[in-house]
Amino acid sequence: MNKVAAIVLNRNLPEVTDRLCAHLKTHDGDVTDVFVVEAGSDDDRLSQHTTWHADWPEARAHGLRYSRGMNFGLSQLWRDGRFQDYRAFFLLTNDTELSDQPTVRPLLKVFEDHLRMGILSPCSKRWGERLLLQTESIKYFWFIHNNAYLIRREFVEAIMDVEEPGFMHFLFDGTNFRGFGNESEVIAKAYVNDWAAAITTSVWAEENEAYLLDRAELIKTEGYQKNLKLYVEEGRRWMRRKYGFNSRWAIQQYVKAFYDHFFELHPEYSRFRI
Amino acid sequence: MIHRRLEVFLEKRRRTLIGVGPMSLNCVDAAIELASEHDIPMLLIASRRQIDSDEFGGGYVNNWTTAQFAQYVIDRDKKGKVLLARDHGGPWQNTQEIKNNLSLRRAMESAKVSYQADLEAGFQILHIDPSVDIHSHPDVDEILDRVFELYEYCWSEASKRGQEVIFEIGTEEQNGSTNTQEELVYTLNAMQRFCKQNRLPPPSFVVIQTGTRVMEMRNVGSFDSPIRVADELPAEIQLPRMMEICRRYRVFMKEHNTDYLSDESLQWHPRFGIHAANVAPEFGVAESQALVGVLREHGLGGLADGFLQLALDSRKWEKWMLPETKATDEDRAIIAGHYVFGLDRCREIKEEAALRLRTHNIDLEQHLKERVKRSILRYLCHFRLARTA
Repeated sequence: MNKVAAIVLNRNLPEVTDRLCAHLKTHDGDVTDVFVVEAGSDDDRLSQHTTWHADWPEARAHGLRYSRGMNFGLSQLWRDGRFQDYRAFFLLTNDTELSDQPTVRPLLKVFEDHLRMGILSPCSKRWGERLLLQTESIKYFWFIHNNAYLIRREFVEAIMDVEEPGFMHFLFDGTNFRGFGNESEVIAKAYVNDWAAAITTSVWAEENEAYLLDRAELIKTEGYQKNLKLYVEEGRRWMRRKYGFNSRWAIQQYVKAFYDHFFELHPEYSRFRI
Repeated sequence: MIHRRLEVFLEKRRRTLIGVGPMSLNCVDAAIELASEHDIPMLLIASRRQIDSDEFGGGYVNNWTTAQFAQYVIDRDKKGKVLLARDHGGPWQNTQEIKNNLSLRRAMESAKVSYQADLEAGFQILHIDPSVDIHSHPDVDEILDRVFELYEYCWSEASKRGQEVIFEIGTEEQNGSTNTQEELVYTLNAMQRFCKQNRLPPPSFVVIQTGTRVMEMRNVGSFDSPIRVADELPAEIQLPRMMEICRRYRVFMKEHNTDYLSDESLQWHPRFGIHAANVAPEFGVAESQALVGVLREHGLGGLADGFLQLALDSRKWEKWMLPETKATDEDRAIIAGHYVFGLDRCREIKEEAALRLRTHNIDLEQHLKERVKRSILRYLCHFRLARTA
């Protein structure tokens, strides 16, 4: 029960995925079960650790991306009756590179010390946020953009879609396919439900964009620039449709309002406010 | 009174003031006209490279000295809407001071001479920015000591004249003292103490790094980027934090390098409560593009090429280039165009162009000024300064 389910998203990069799985098993195996979601991967490009394969035609053609992929993994755990076995879920894409040391255990320690923390992201050495984490290794944020989050089960339970637990809506809004703005929505849902979102430098995680830059064809995705354009365009349309927000700044202000309110309710966490 | 005037203006309605770089004669005229047409205070923010005193040989903008520039503006600004502002005043902010390899003391003296000329000419806002040092890398405290010295000097000189002046501190440059939140708080605290002890007015503006950075003909900072910029704090985080600090210290927040931001980002400036924003090279580029455009449209491609070659040869585009630039020679020339407007050869090209365009019923300078006005107007609309906004 003290365990974490690490869900790794793969699309046609088995070696990369297997390396990450091996890392997790080596350094965090005692506290982590590793699951791999195949986001429409070709049958000959599956990870050795594959748990679930999204193999329906649309997934094969376009993949799942982070939101649908993680929804799929989480909803499978839910359907299998294993969801309750885990204290938290470590949701990461296969291009995440972790330091050569335990990752999950230090993150869990942070959860233990911060009982209202629902979302925790390792920091990256390439992020400016590290400048805010020099005296304290943990700060609560209203904006976190990452592909590796530890998410507390109770928080997921507070917002998940139990009526239709599937890849479209379980935690993230899968209608926003590439996910621009999805993390902000989930962070808003966290603060509005009395859960915080934080970044820590107690462990580091890097996103290796080289796979997306150099192996887009193999991953069967658009080139980097086109993907970026679609990511932003789709996300903006989604924000407008769902919230009537015409700007990314609108959703940021929306999240920050809940963030500020959280500290009114929980002044005891003020030192972690940025 | 100047500070209060701006405060009242900003309190009446949520908006963002604009600081226009005087990139050219047409740009200056455009700013004066727009300020008058919309009844708004407009800051003309002259860097020392653009406009400087006679001792330094003037600046590249219309070959004006500080006094000539100020006189020109004051005479034409009938409604008194334009505020003359020194942008990035301070030691080694003039090319000559760098070329002559001045020592710290000499560079500080030189900066004072330049400020003295600003005050004599009637400048109303002085940006004290001693963050440049060609001999060492001063820490925050050393920079602050230099700020204090120049601040006190300018205030006492203005007082002697019975002249009102307000101040801007901080810089967007990486070696500045207001880049991070900690530095900003430290600097504002130190300034507050210094001003109190010496019975000086606190600074009106502080420059904040909001994630804007101009390279080539775009804004490459994090403000306008929906994705991460490596090693930069996302603007989503940086901006609200800096704003909170400025509110706490009751100082107007000034953004530099606002050029080329998207309409969407500009529209959010007043909403965020960004008090003022500087825009400069974009207006120079707008004029250069307009010049080349109108020449080519009317079969004067040879003159356009002559202008572009002159600009390209100036190599003034160099500092604006991205490391892995894909800019063409024409892009480079357009970026450097406004630096050569004041050269004799460019004047000759423009005179000939004006003559030949007259046969097409086009007043060249009027046409260029209108294009610059259109470019400035984009900011006025989004900053809720234009009457139509």
